Amino acid sequence: MPRPGFVLDVDRSTPPVLFHHGEGFRLEKLPADRSRIIYPAEPIEPIADPVGAIRHALANPLGDAAPLAAQLLAGMKLTICFDDISLPLPPMKRPDIRQMVIEAVLDLAAAAGVDDVHLIAALALHRRMTESELRHAVGDRVYEAFAPSGALYNHDAEDPDNLLEIGTTKHGEVVEINKRAAESDLLVYVNINLVSMDGGWKSTATGLSSYKSLKHHHNVKTMQASTSFMDRHKSELHHSNWRMGEVLKSSGVKIFQIETTMNNNVFGTDGPMSVLQKREWEWTARDRMTFLAMQKGLDRISPRMRRQAFQSWKAPHAMTSVQAGEVDAVHEVTTANVFRQHLVPVEGQTDILTMGLPYISPYNVNSILNPVLVMCLGLGYFFNLYRGKPPVREGGVLIMSHPTPWEFHPVHHPSYIDFFEQVLSETTDPLVLEEKFEKQFAEDEWYRHLYRTSYAYHGVHPFYMWYWGSHAMQHLGRVIIVGGEERSVRRLGFQPASTLQDAFEMASDVVGREPTITHLHNPPILMADVT
Amino acid sequence: MKALRFDRKPARYAAAIVAGKLAPGAGAGVGPLRLADVDPPELPGPDWLRIAPRLAGICGSDLGTIDGTSSRYFEPIVSFPFVPGHEVVADLLDPLDATDGSGPLAPDGTHRVVLEPVLGCAARSISPTCAACAAGDLGRCTNISFGHLSPGLQSGFCCETGGGWSTGMVAHRSQLHRVPDDMTDEAAVMVEPTACAVHAALAAGIAPGDTVVVLGAGTLGLLVLAAVRRYTQAGTVIVVAKHDAQRTLARSLGADVVVAPGEIRRAVRRSTGSMAIGDGDITRLTGGAACVLDCVGSAPSLDDSMAVTRPGGQITLVGMAGVTNLDLTGLWHRELRLVGAYAYGTETLVDGTSRRTFDLASELVMADDLARLVSATYPLSRYREAIAHAASAGGRGAVKVCFDLRTEKERTRL
Amino acid sequence: MSPKATELTKRLPVNGVSAARSASMMAKVASAKARNATKAALPFPLTPPPVPAGVEPREKKSTTGADYDTDWARSYPARLARVMLVQGLVRPAVKAIASPRVRGLDRLNGLEGPVIFAANHHSHVDTPLLLATIPEPRRHRLVIGAGADYFFANRLTAPLSALVIGAIPIERTKVTRKSADQAAALIDEGWSFLIFPEGGRSPDGWGQPFRGGAAYLATRCGVPVVPIHLDGTGRILRKGKSLPQRSVAVVTFGAPLHPAEGEDSRRFAARLEREVASLSDELYSGWYEARKHAHAGTTPPLQGPDTGAWRKAWTVGDRTPRRKRKATWPEL
Repeated sequence: MPRPGFVLDVDRSTPPVLFHHGEGFRLEKLPADRSRIIYPAEPIEPIADPVGAIRHALANPLGDAAPLAAQLLAGMKLTICFDDISLPLPPMKRPDIRQMVIEAVLDLAAAAGVDDVHLIAALALHRRMTESELRHAVGDRVYEAFAPSGALYNHDAEDPDNLLEIGTTKHGEVVEINKRAAESDLLVYVNINLVSMDGGWKSTATGLSSYKSLKHHHNVKTMQASTSFMDRHKSELHHSNWRMGEVLKSSGVKIFQIETTMNNNVFGTDGPMSVLQKREWEWTARDRMTFLAMQKGLDRISPRMRRQAFQSWKAPHAMTSVQAGEVDAVHEVTTANVFRQHLVPVEGQTDILTMGLPYISPYNVNSILNPVLVMCLGLGYFFNLYRGKPPVREGGVLIMSHPTPWEFHPVHHPSYIDFFEQVLSETTDPLVLEEKFEKQFAEDEWYRHLYRTSYAYHGVHPFYMWYWGSHAMQHLGRVIIVGGEERSVRRLGFQPASTLQDAFEMASDVVGREPTITHLHNPPILMADVT
Repeated sequence: MKALRFDRKPARYAAAIVAGKLAPGAGAGVGPLRLADVDPPELPGPDWLRIAPRLAGICGSDLGTIDGTSSRYFEPIVSFPFVPGHEVVADLLDPLDATDGSGPLAPDGTHRVVLEPVLGCAARSISPTCAACAAGDLGRCTNISFGHLSPGLQSGFCCETGGGWSTGMVAHRSQLHRVPDDMTDEAAVMVEPTACAVHAALAAGIAPGDTVVVLGAGTLGLLVLAAVRRYTQAGTVIVVAKHDAQRTLARSLGADVVVAPGEIRRAVRRSTGSMAIGDGDITRLTGGAACVLDCVGSAPSLDDSMAVTRPGGQITLVGMAGVTNLDLTGLWHRELRLVGAYAYGTETLVDGTSRRTFDLASELVMADDLARLVSATYPLSRYREAIAHAASAGGRGAVKVCFDLRTEKERTRL
Repeated sequence: MSPKATELTKRLPVNGVSAARSASMMAKVASAKARNATKAALPFPLTPPPVPAGVEPREKKSTTGADYDTDWARSYPARLARVMLVQGLVRPAVKAIASPRVRGLDRLNGLEGPVIFAANHHSHVDTPLLLATIPEPRRHRLVIGAGADYFFANRLTAPLSALVIGAIPIERTKVTRKSADQAAALIDEGWSFLIFPEGGRSPDGWGQPFRGGAAYLATRCGVPVVPIHLDGTGRILRKGKSLPQRSVAVVTFGAPLHPAEGEDSRRFAARLEREVASLSDELYSGWYEARKHAHAGTTPPLQGPDTGAWRKAWTVGDRTPRRKRKATWPEL
């Protein structure tokens, strides 16, 4: 019976706590009697027969939608769009959820005799997926049936011939999406909801759109008004996407949305890596040996090998729910399922929030977590995993643990290098850099070329990473990175500390000598429901 | 008199090469450079005068000679034993007829002069002078190492003239420029290196609004930057500086963008908005900067220069490059011009007027207060430390290191 | 003349008896003499006893063919030896000769308990190929139904078949109650079963009709059947040849089939054959086309076109599975 998440009050007999530290781990002792640790829930039971559940969902849709089999007719134009490489994290063991869903959809399409089928990876301004990444997501059978003829491909947000402007919302936001998707008789979207930010109208309105559309909600003002973007009812980002969804609906684009949720079984409940998910006082002797061996082993190998070892980990997380049909109806059920796994009730705020940052973010799968992404992961994703209020008070301090090397992947993140070298050396204020530099990066020809032909994130993407943390930057008094490379941390505008105790010292002039501390224990993910 | 003398001693020279590889400037200790008691140099001819150096700078070419890294090209145009030091501000010891008609000058130390060290036809008593010397371009003299003087491209490389790293030397009257009273010694000693920089900046072919890249922010790089800003109408100037102190100085001297050595290609790409070849990791740019001034002169800096110059652009080699391995395909394919800039002479400005480089340099030194670039001075007795400091100047936050001869006891005896 | 002399005279060549015949007659006489001599040398326990007259000789129990007892081959030491043989000898050999490409393993995810594997049959390489590619742990808890008359013919091939491939004898033409019971008992104990429903290797490269054995066992024991399609093994070692030729074989696993309520084994066997045909179609026309054919009922059958023998053989060579050609730049 998986146990729910809970808040542990630290006392003198609490053992040191596991902190993720990039490609490695640290055990840190938190001060007694004024710290609390939020532990995530244990992984809930996945569905025993996922394929059966998918078929059931397709035949029994939610909301105002007919069963999928009834909507598939011979001679129609069918487009199946799916979430890109940024989900799930870490990548899951084969078969991927998308493979199972897409095969079920295609089976129904084959029964109906549909010939014109396109499959599009809905990646907006993310990087294109490589062949092996696509094969992993949709499976070899589907890949080999469609890719050679050009029917399976990546969305190209900079291809003027393949974008269609649908309309404008009542706030003046332009809605422009992939032309093939817009002009299909039916658009089936296959989504994976890892966190409550994903899914709903965001799938189509963001995933298949272009810079012209995205800049209306991927900007500092919107992100500062999203408290937090994991809670769609308090998120300006989602309000904008839902408005765009209204435009899509009224323009006649027929969308059959299939959303799935997963449990948080990242490292397995048994097996050599399971120690990382267990509560520290429940580590057996074998777990402790495994942990020590892992730490020693990681110390010996080079950073490149460490990165390869971690990036090649395929998680055993599995599907916990699947629902299909009308976007709004489906998304309500999906969000409830996500909260079922992630939400942990927390009371009140503290002065300091600590967290260990993992080696992976949505934007560096099979790649390097560069300093800009460290900021996005910490101040963007992890800080915003709350509902209600942040677990740290306004003006408090955020302490993150990550090595923050000054390293960038030149193929995946070329515009990040320029952003870090040129833009951040001038200013770290999101409003200023949005004003001064965003346009130049968004319209640079070379970045556009690399986005379209190589495997690079779009030129404007590093700016979005920065905006993701703008709510946190407004809320917090100071940000300290423990164990990070000094010059990268300073360039980010934060303060480097070599140990956690030093970090607490450095925080003392903002929060005093005896601050209260909340620690977000990860892996795996949790969401704090703060009252 | 006391002088630092560079003798011809092959064994010591070999030792200096080895030492120089281990630690910059270490060749001073084990090499042929010695602090010796020598006779003051004789006057080689009627138009020669004696001068007593006050401040003498240590230049990159001196360091190259001491550490054994300079090319063998110089052997026939240098005569041993010589006293190094060609960046000199000195006191006149013999009267010099003032060219401005104010009468002969008294040899009582009230008139200081700056040395223009290049030895042309006039200094070598060659008549008629060659075409270059007649035009005022002494650096291009075709009678170098001939005439009534031992070989030596400049004072400070010639056995008969002496050099700045001593308490007494001789100079031809055509080599001397008067130092105005409001110019300090430190400002005066910067005039010679500034003249090199001005000459290079004006030889670089910079058209109005061009993007200019200056590689290197040591003494030469910073002075080139100042000269480019004052005497050309360049657009964006990008400077590559390795050390933090250099970066601050570069910004104060007018650089628009200052970057670290590994970042230059991306910085030029951003500034010029050009495309690049290479998947995110730039191999070379397809466009680039109009003019690149290489003040480092090493193989990697030449590599960077070729990668960031636009087709039809010009790379001006200001620093002394030695024997280098270079793939010239890029030079041919992009129709680049690789141009050397040595010493100084007479310059033609944008408006067509003709001025001597030294005059332009003096103006620049006073306008930008380049005297602040003299970071440290040493007496002759501490020459090893002085040379080590000069060799690692960038890392130690220094720019120009000089010998201070004003405090030497022997001066006043003469 | 004496009677002996008359005999001898009759035997003289000139009197009409050939030299060879006379030599053989002499030999017979000599061996009879010798036999009588040995009989006299070794006593009864060392030699088989003669049967006395007037007594019915006992029926000899047959121990070859379908009556061979293979229980010893499922004991622990025998299983250990088989694991080592399979991992150490069979798998590397198969990799070298057949370079197998395995597809569709994900369809077996979440499948628990013993299953029956049913594959098409073109060559003797099929069994080692399947032994090498069926995923663990079922690979090591596998029983193979092999033709009793071929694999268990004599006292040498029988133990070898039982040990190396873990075979049990099955009659080809009509399965007896005994074999069926034995197979069912083994499945109930948790052993997975590999069977070739065609009954034998195809003689011409096209399939033969699927018999009902696999379907019957699945229904009787309540276990699913995993259809497998083997492609390319006919190229490696055809029926009739003795030396294998290196080539690429493709093993495609299909989704497990459960017998429907009240479905008789003949109909199930037909469904199984259609599934294997669909797997073949997947390989030759692509997965989506194959699904469309399956839903429309137009999957090309395994038994080939409904034409005469020579045209069938002609068209076997026509089909080539879609293979990715990797473009390589010439070395300059």
